Amino acid sequence: MGYQEIKPETKPAKKAYVSLMLWFVGRAIQAAAKTDDQVKKEFEGLPDRFTFSLGVMPQGPYMIVGKDKNGAVKYMGSNPHAQKVDLQMNIKNLEAAILLFTFQEGTAMASCRDRLILSGEVPDALAVVRILDIVEIYLLPEIVAKLAVKRYPKWWSPVSKNVVRGKIYIRTLLGI
Amino acid sequence: MFLPDYYEYCCRVKIVAGHNALENIPDLLADLNAKKPMFITDKGVAGAGLIEIVTEAVKGVDTSVIEDDVPPDSDLRVVNRLAGIYKDNGCDSIVAIGGGSVMDTAKGVNIIVSEDAEDLMKFSGAGALTRPLRPLIVLPTTAGTGSEVTLVAVIADKEKNIKMAFTSYFLLPNVAVLDSRMTLTLPPFITAPTAMDALTHAVEAYTCLAKNPISDAHAGIAISLIANNIINVVKNPSDQNGRLALANGATMAGAAFSNSMVGMVHSIGHSVGAVCHVPHGVCMAILLPYGLEYNLHRSGHLTAELLLPLAGAEVYAATPPEQRADKAIEVIRTMNQDLYDATSGRHARFFSEIKDRDGKQMVPEDKLPAIAKTALGDGSLLYNPEDMDYDDMMVVIKAAWDGVPLDRSLIKRG
Repeated sequence: MGYQEIKPETKPAKKAYVSLMLWFVGRAIQAAAKTDDQVKKEFEGLPDRFTFSLGVMPQGPYMIVGKDKNGAVKYMGSNPHAQKVDLQMNIKNLEAAILLFTFQEGTAMASCRDRLILSGEVPDALAVVRILDIVEIYLLPEIVAKLAVKRYPKWWSPVSKNVVRGKIYIRTLLGI
Repeated sequence: MFLPDYYEYCCRVKIVAGHNALENIPDLLADLNAKKPMFITDKGVAGAGLIEIVTEAVKGVDTSVIEDDVPPDSDLRVVNRLAGIYKDNGCDSIVAIGGGSVMDTAKGVNIIVSEDAEDLMKFSGAGALTRPLRPLIVLPTTAGTGSEVTLVAVIADKEKNIKMAFTSYFLLPNVAVLDSRMTLTLPPFITAPTAMDALTHAVEAYTCLAKNPISDAHAGIAISLIANNIINVVKNPSDQNGRLALANGATMAGAAFSNSMVGMVHSIGHSVGAVCHVPHGVCMAILLPYGLEYNLHRSGHLTAELLLPLAGAEVYAATPPEQRADKAIEVIRTMNQDLYDATSGRHARFFSEIKDRDGKQMVPEDKLPAIAKTALGDGSLLYNPEDMDYDDMMVVIKAAWDGVPLDRSLIKRG
């Protein structure tokens, strides 16, 4: 007697949304590393040619960001198998990724709820979490960013924050 | 009652606790189909006469293989040597008698002998072990670390100057035997910080972000057991009931924190240990009130709830709800002062008063920036209720160095 093959449920809309977010955040990190001093400093503290990936298990999507041979921070695409990755941050499944990328849950809370699997050095992972937090603060309106990060920096100057935000958006869209 | 949207909890260690719990070891070994255990311990435990107590209690069990060569920090070379002795003698199980280092060493030996491995490094990290190991029974001789119920082992490779961490549910011992005789000889100045270490596990498990109802239940009872007995035991080290209560408290705190993790007290404490080599329990005792103060605006409602197990029903009821969190912090500070008095000043209350055996200050003020920087890379920071940057770290560490309460106006709120 033959059995019907069980195929995993596909969620193309959710997958496409997460892919888009990863692409945008990846390029925004590259932009923030050129425009924000804190992000610049965090990357300076990471090893030479350091790369990290953030993605969804089991089959993606992913984004890879790292420092090139000159120390410049680059968005390195979406294929984690095409290059060496020092730190892998994998979200256990697509639903968990949706919680993260719809900002219902911050990175720290996702870790607390066992939704993230880290492979690499812990101090590097914490630096990446700090970078992601800063980038989210720039990309999102305050009311949404407050959900995504543990502490919203009310003490930042609104003028300089908005100037940097503008620069990051332009650089992200242009990929520079 | 806080119920998270999602949580995971696992503690599959059988606990056998009592004044004569050791006498059950032959049955426990038989249940595990183990006939020839290897006993692993350290010279301090052996010197205190604890091995004689164990061998006397387990009459009928083959006790021909007893190794007491474990150093204060578990070491890869020792793990390899002990694994060789295990194989040469045809052992089929391990009984570990000691503190965190002995238990970590036993877990490392168990990986090598169970996997027939040449290179322990292959099993470092999380998830590298895929099947159950040989039977492991642990007998903690300090009431503090909770290693008897944790799934982690840390082993140093001194040749390469690295520490390897191993994480797997297969590293959980099969049985933890808590017997009051095992901690009876622990001197008061060590009993105090080890019990404060356990108290910190329970308090951080209850107040940090990964808390869940099961770890909360363990943490609450652990705090009550420790708070009700710590001063009495330090003043009367031969109090067997008090010793057993502390041992149970430490194990319950271990089960709580290994499932809900810990926060900034551990982040800074690990860093002080790494930079200045201060014993872990001493760091925990000093930092615990500061951690609660720093997080007060985030988790003050949880700290307030802890006043009940910390100080009892009368104090809790007599304290207005809005003052309970501050009162809980005050109770912990008073506990540190009482332990300082009971140990004739050997229990340090703040970092600047910690001295080594030669009377030299162990945490010089110029090391504080290095401590702050290292703490920013500690994984437990993720679980802390409030975020911390370098400046926040310095505010907390400086206050804990001076021994003054935290200036709450300096805490940045989002």
